[in-house]
Amino acid sequence: MSDWEPKIITFLCNWCSYGAADLAGVSRMQYPANIRVVRIPCTGRMSPKFVLASFMNGADGVWISG
Amino acid sequence: MGHRNAVYRPYAQAVPGAYSVSKKDKSPCTTACPGSVNAHGYVSMIGEGKYKEALEVITRTLPMPGVLGRICPHPCEDACRRSEVDSAISICTLKRFAADQVELSELEIPEIEQRKEKVAIIGAGPAGLTAAYFLALEGFQVTIFEALPVGGGMLRVGIPDYRLPPSILEKEIEFITRLGVEIKYNTRVGKDITIDGLLNDGYESVFIGVGCHKDMKLGLEGEEDVEGVIPGVKFLRDAALGETKEIKGNVAIVGGGDVAIDAARTALRMGADKVSILYRRTEAEMPARDEEIEDAFEEDVDIQFLRAPVELLQENGKLTGVKCIRMELGEPDDSGRRRPVPVEGSEFVVDADILIPAIGQKTDASFLQEADGVELNKWGDFAVDQVTYQTSREGVFAGGDAETGASIAIAAVGAGREAAISIARYIKGEDMKEGREGLEIPQSDFNPIPDKMEKKARAKMDRIPMEERKSGFTEVEIGLSEEIARAEANKCVDCMVCCECLECVKVCGAGALTFETHEEEDRIEAVEVGSIVISSGFEPYEPSKLDFFGYDRHPNVVTALQFERLLSASGPFEGHVVRPSDHKEPKKIAWFQCVGSRETNNCDNDYCSSVCCMYAIKEAVIAKEHDSELDASIFYMDMRTFGKDFEKYYDDAKNKHGINFIRSRVHTIDPVGDTGDLEIRYVREDGELVVDTFDMVVLSIGLETSPGLKELAEKFNIEMTPGNFCQTDSLTPVATSQPGVYVSGSFQGPKDIPQAVVDASAAAAAAGQNLVAARNTLTQTREIVPERNIIGERPRIGAFICHCGINISGTVNIPEVLDYVRELPHVEYVTDNLYSCSQDTQATMTEIIKEYNLNRIIVAACTPKTHEPLFQETLINAGLNKYLFEMVNIRNHASWVHKENPELATQKAKDLVRMAVAKIGLKMPLKEAELAVNPTAMVVGGGLSGMSSALSLARQGYQTHLIEKADKLGGNAHSLYKTWKGENIPDMLSDLMGQVQSEENITIHLNSAVSNVEGFVGNFQTTITSGNEEEVIEHGVATLATGGQEYKPAEYCYGDDPKIVTSLELDQKMLNNDASLDDVDCAVFIQCVGSREPERPYCSRVCCTHSVESALELKKRNPEARVFILYRDIRTYGERERKYIEARKAGVVFIRYSLNDKPAVALKDGKVSITVKDHVLGKNIEIEADLLTLASAILPNRDDQLAQMFKVPMNDDSFFIERHAKLGPSEFATDGVFLCGLAHYPKPIDEAVAQGQAAASRAITLLAQGTITTNGEIAAIDPMSCSGCGICTSVCPYSAPSLIEEGRFAGKSEINSALCKGCGLCVSSCRSGAIRLNGYDNDQIFAMVDVA
Repeated sequence: MSDWEPKIITFLCNWCSYGAADLAGVSRMQYPANIRVVRIPCTGRMSPKFVLASFMNGADGVWISG
Repeated sequence: MGHRNAVYRPYAQAVPGAYSVSKKDKSPCTTACPGSVNAHGYVSMIGEGKYKEALEVITRTLPMPGVLGRICPHPCEDACRRSEVDSAISICTLKRFAADQVELSELEIPEIEQRKEKVAIIGAGPAGLTAAYFLALEGFQVTIFEALPVGGGMLRVGIPDYRLPPSILEKEIEFITRLGVEIKYNTRVGKDITIDGLLNDGYESVFIGVGCHKDMKLGLEGEEDVEGVIPGVKFLRDAALGETKEIKGNVAIVGGGDVAIDAARTALRMGADKVSILYRRTEAEMPARDEEIEDAFEEDVDIQFLRAPVELLQENGKLTGVKCIRMELGEPDDSGRRRPVPVEGSEFVVDADILIPAIGQKTDASFLQEADGVELNKWGDFAVDQVTYQTSREGVFAGGDAETGASIAIAAVGAGREAAISIARYIKGEDMKEGREGLEIPQSDFNPIPDKMEKKARAKMDRIPMEERKSGFTEVEIGLSEEIARAEANKCVDCMVCCECLECVKVCGAGALTFETHEEEDRIEAVEVGSIVISSGFEPYEPSKLDFFGYDRHPNVVTALQFERLLSASGPFEGHVVRPSDHKEPKKIAWFQCVGSRETNNCDNDYCSSVCCMYAIKEAVIAKEHDSELDASIFYMDMRTFGKDFEKYYDDAKNKHGINFIRSRVHTIDPVGDTGDLEIRYVREDGELVVDTFDMVVLSIGLETSPGLKELAEKFNIEMTPGNFCQTDSLTPVATSQPGVYVSGSFQGPKDIPQAVVDASAAAAAAGQNLVAARNTLTQTREIVPERNIIGERPRIGAFICHCGINISGTVNIPEVLDYVRELPHVEYVTDNLYSCSQDTQATMTEIIKEYNLNRIIVAACTPKTHEPLFQETLINAGLNKYLFEMVNIRNHASWVHKENPELATQKAKDLVRMAVAKIGLKMPLKEAELAVNPTAMVVGGGLSGMSSALSLARQGYQTHLIEKADKLGGNAHSLYKTWKGENIPDMLSDLMGQVQSEENITIHLNSAVSNVEGFVGNFQTTITSGNEEEVIEHGVATLATGGQEYKPAEYCYGDDPKIVTSLELDQKMLNNDASLDDVDCAVFIQCVGSREPERPYCSRVCCTHSVESALELKKRNPEARVFILYRDIRTYGERERKYIEARKAGVVFIRYSLNDKPAVALKDGKVSITVKDHVLGKNIEIEADLLTLASAILPNRDDQLAQMFKVPMNDDSFFIERHAKLGPSEFATDGVFLCGLAHYPKPIDEAVAQGQAAASRAITLLAQGTITTNGEIAAIDPMSCSGCGICTSVCPYSAPSLIEEGRFAGKSEINSALCKGCGLCVSSCRSGAIRLNGYDNDQIFAMVDVA
């Protein structure tokens, strides 16, 4: 299990968290490469179906940020 | 630092992204050539091994390269700048080399449109042949009439075969005749034909190129009768034509020119026993080519100097000898050469059987007849117009020796070509002179010669063995080997940079480069304008002037600008940081600050250049990013990180990145042997001398106004500051002293990008005020590319993967991503770009989209938040709907954040692209709606900045509401005394308030606050509350100028004693002209009170200058007063530095303290006592002060509610966050909302006013458009599925959905596209699934999740 790396699907609000992720890059912050970003226009767009779909497709975690 | 070709692209992202040709003044070799042969061009081609191309360059002006390559006295070599290094390049020999490599017949005959007009040329010498060649190229029917049985004139019968083999000449004549030129030999003018006759015989024009074939006489008795006296030209001609085959006995030759030497060497070869040359001056004056003289010596010709013949000795009419007299050199004559004077009584006899006088030739014009109407000049040569070469008879031209008297062949070639141009124009009826009058082009700006150029020997040709030389007429010189020739050619220092070989013209398929564009020169155009903005920038300081840094001696001492290039992916080493001397990675780098700034000993720049501290830190941090092991040290005097977020960057550089900051001015750099390392010596703060060695030194050079800009300022009659920057006033910070002329950027003073951008916007606003009436009179409508209908097409995806220099490709394996993406479904085209955002890449993308008929585009690069609009524009230009686009952020979200793990970063990049591919196939074209913009503005905050903004908006014709919470306008300015420039602030303030109050487009709302904001860009409805009254104002844009306030210190006993005041309180005393100030004997200022502290980690920017200014004011009131300023770093940036100098001169004492050893303030017996550790003495000192001023921080007026209502962000310090720190300093990311003044960051009055104007300028770009387009990515309702529950109408923050009131779908919901912001809240809340969000539809997000 020591090699196991979780796959995390990340829903980021275009206006805040997506921008923050951009800024993390600009600031050269280093973080684990486990997230896969889906840009959404607002967390208001988030639907429970997206969470379920993520898990159905093998995600180990879902992160919604906005 | 790297090599750059003459044709180059400035840099990868340059706009325009086109290539440029770099040209300096014309190469001296080319200008020196009387035949205008482009020596630089063919030498370069030879260096490249392109011999045919070299000949093409030569034959553009000279049809006889092999001939001139052998016999030309090469004035080009005299002009060659390589002689500054070692010796001139063997240009002439190289020309021969090129001609020897390629048969001229291999050059293609250009397509010539034949004309019927006939031209007659008299004489087949260099002038006549050249004229014939160029006339034939023009299509004329050319006939040459030649008196001799052979062609070439003097080239054939004057120059012996051992110098110029007849076969070479014949081939080159053939090169000319192959164009259709006919040569009629044995046809003598005056005997067989006449000029007048030719003209009457149907020749449109005649060119006379008869040369100088008549020998000058010695003037000795018997010269014409005595047997054995043969004139030089005749002797050579008879030899050349084979009429003389052998001679016997002794030969004496009189003269010192080429003919004399040629005659001597010819006589030797024909069997003469002894050959002597008698020359009346010395070797130095000899006009013959040096090579020839040398050859003659080698061949044992007896050259006697300072001898002149006085009498011919004869026996029976046959020559036996020549009586000579010795000469000596006297005074210089008209030619500048010293005149030979006979030495009396020094006569002697030279035995001679043959005497050859070779003292010059004349034109033989005896063939002229009266009917010809051609006149001669006073020397007996043909008189012509110096530009057109036309003689006194219209249509008759002359050139070459016949016009100039005996001269060199290349001059005759030049004359022949010029005459050909005239003849062509004459026949076509064109103006012969147009564009040909000699232009005075200065010859001074050449490609600099590198200092450390290796000296090399000049290439020389080998010669055949001496036996062979003397015994026949075989060519003496053998020519250069290819290896030697190319090495010689590559010694060229490329004076003009571009060598004008015109190879680029041949290969440029677009036809962008032509002969004409190569000739393009500066031209003057007059433009009528209403305003002028000068934004000509700065010139980096040239550090060679500071000898002790050895910038021009040590390769590893570079300027900061050069280091920027080293760091850049498009730099000389493609972003690989290596030092210039040995291309090794530096492990230890030092930055020296204030090079050419704050320096009056070695240069005159007393000001601070404002930007160098910050750029040095940035360079050090980036260099550390390249190599985390790097040891980086910055040597400085004061660390001036006074800009927004700069102090934090400085703190991080120190604490997180481990950059060393050493407060010391280094005075010496010594190279360590040949290692390239540099030893530096400096004195540490504690007084200890340190010697340290670095791999590289970076000089943080300052900013200067260029001499050219100073000249321009003089022309505009603009007042300048002592530092040579443009003088401006605080209330009109971008206006020069000349009305209508504005300034932005570092011409106004050294400044960083954000301030320069603010200035630029402000200058645009100021310039625009004069032009209100002319708005929209010069607009151009853009061509709209029709949108392609892609409905029904299967997806054809194009994916563009960006390197972003090395930002992405340095971590992510781009080739691997490319291979991966190529295999994804529906992907039709994949490529990578160094910079996808560069202008030429956009053009290429447009072409690719069309060529491959792509209908969905993915760019994997940086963030869509900054670059999406750019690529969408490209889609539009390619005829695609802009929403058929998806951007994948593999830079910010992959390469930058997973630097340590390239494999995972590459995997993530692939995954992200795969998700985008899955989504984009489902994207469809979307439509945008157009909305009107309400041309009314609102400015919140009536301080200086807000007032300036309102005034600027109003003056450009927009109704403006100015909202001020206080009962009067002016804000903090009411508490300020003077600006650093000495302007009285109360006067300024009342002036500005007066202007605002009398401006009819401004409505002032005092005692008012914003209580509610609705709507969006272009259409805001803002509620203003004033007491109990509410008013709704409709406006299109808003500027937040909510200002700041002074920090009330909790430290330093503030509030405990009236003698302890803040800076503003001291100003108030000055404003009140408080008499107690005159009695202050000891005043202390403490800087950084509340600023640059852990809880407020920013510099308040204005306090250093303010305290220095106040200290000077106190000194003015009481010169005896002791004034101390306790500081951490003095940050009197720009020309404020002069105030700091003035304060020190006035006796103000500056004592530095550190953050962990701050001054202590105590109240003792009614006195204020300050204890501080003196940084020089290292001891505590105690000062008893009558006045302690705390230079306290500037805090923003934090208003969370306002920020929320306008949806604008604030940083940790509660200052507003602008759209972009550098490029968008006066606007928010939120559309239609702008900012200025202290709410953005602490700043002095001039900068606050400038930003007020800048915010107005940015707002006007929106207001002036009249309309805006809405986003296409908005919600859409399917009324068939809608149940009309109304949840969407209740959840929407923008009131976009509403229930339809009547018609078929009454009771169902619909979306107002103008109001919808596309957040998708309604979509998620719709229980019927009736609402979709365009661009973020369920199926699209599911598709991404499916493949994630």
